[in-house]
Amino acid sequence: MSGDLERRYRRVLRLLPRWYREQWEQDMVAAFLDGWLTGDPEADDYISVAAGPGCAEIASVIGLAVRLHLGGPGTPRRHAWGQAIRRAVLAVLLMHAVLAVDVLVSLVWRHRLVGWLPAPPGSVVVAPTGVWATVYCLVSAAWVVVFLTLALRDYRTARVLGALCVVPGLIALLQAHFTGMLPAPFGPWVFWVMVDLAPVLAMAAFHRDAPPVARRPWLLALPAGCVLVYGPVLALQVTDNVAWLPDFSGLCCILAALACLVHAPRAWSRRAAGSGLWSLTLVLLAAVAGAYRLVSLTDFLDDPHLTAVSLAELLILLAAVALVAPDAARAQTAAATPAPPLRPNAVAG
Amino acid sequence: MTAKPMTGQAFFVLTALADGPRHGYGIVGEVAELSQGRVRLKIGSLYGVLERLAAERLIEPDREEAHDGRLRRYYRLTRDGRRVLAEEAEIRAATARVVRARLGLAGAESAG
Repeated sequence: MSGDLERRYRRVLRLLPRWYREQWEQDMVAAFLDGWLTGDPEADDYISVAAGPGCAEIASVIGLAVRLHLGGPGTPRRHAWGQAIRRAVLAVLLMHAVLAVDVLVSLVWRHRLVGWLPAPPGSVVVAPTGVWATVYCLVSAAWVVVFLTLALRDYRTARVLGALCVVPGLIALLQAHFTGMLPAPFGPWVFWVMVDLAPVLAMAAFHRDAPPVARRPWLLALPAGCVLVYGPVLALQVTDNVAWLPDFSGLCCILAALACLVHAPRAWSRRAAGSGLWSLTLVLLAAVAGAYRLVSLTDFLDDPHLTAVSLAELLILLAAVALVAPDAARAQTAAATPAPPLRPNAVAG
Repeated sequence: MTAKPMTGQAFFVLTALADGPRHGYGIVGEVAELSQGRVRLKIGSLYGVLERLAAERLIEPDREEAHDGRLRRYYRLTRDGRRVLAEEAEIRAATARVVRARLGLAGAESAG
């Protein structure tokens, strides 16, 4: 009889995540009992009552549990978060690249570098000049290169260029801060930390063991992103409805909410295998956009209209995220690394 | 891209499966014997290693057998597992030759 001994060991194994126990618990129990039981019923009865998992045995299970719960190498949690972070980094850099395209197109148009383009409107002709304007154009172009090199899997170049891109922004912020020229106390700093610095630091997730970036979809995302962002912006400008244009943090919230809404049917479909990783990515992006919106809100708390609009954007974002959040939670346990086919043929012995 | 270094425990577990499938406790016993008693795997440690090796497709389940009312699952090396183990053994043997040469021990002449 191994009942008591088995029960005591199973109690220790409860420290392990459920997904792991489903695959390995029976086998662990069998191996543990093999180490104790002799096959002699009398001896085994005594062992079952008197013995139990020792300190070293319990410590080994605790060690395994900590690794699995914290998402150690090879665990579903680590895999899911790693993939989500990589996709979120690509998404933020895509946004940088889309914004940079606007800057570069304006530059080309303003200087009439393409002969067949019509004369630029006043809003394009009147543009800031000087050293910072030049640096801004260069950094914008560099963000496009950072995105493209990352999408083309040249991670080292992307990391070095990304690190160079964040420096001018920091210098400009410090200069504006110390000369009292900062347009708002928090918004610009939050932008720099969350949209410039954080993705560059998070590029560490593109390590040698990471699955390669899917080149084609991300490269196609750049022209698609430009159409998605500038199409409505142009439409609002042409129809004289510029007042409807959100500020940048509002735009981030709306884009993240739209992405959640588009992805929601897939997240709720049981057949869409692997959708959880995108759900987790969207939750991550929404958290960044929401935090940015929340902090930049403090820059215009004295304006009730803008405050109300910002809160509405936040509410829309929250509602959209709620649609994909359950799928994102499942991804942390279900989107496992290649699981072994743990169903061999049973043989009576 | 360089491969990650293999841990000592993983090396012993793969070696324990080199000559045929073994079940969990069988691996524990074989590893203790291979290491001359220096490595005594606890069950939690063993299944941490087995899970990683299975995720890397270096081992796979072979069969299950009922024994005293318990189901023992046997594991075997995959083709990749056999290749990786052979490569690791080569690396370790080469390192051992260098060590012997530097210490001036017998059999060091083949080091190079």
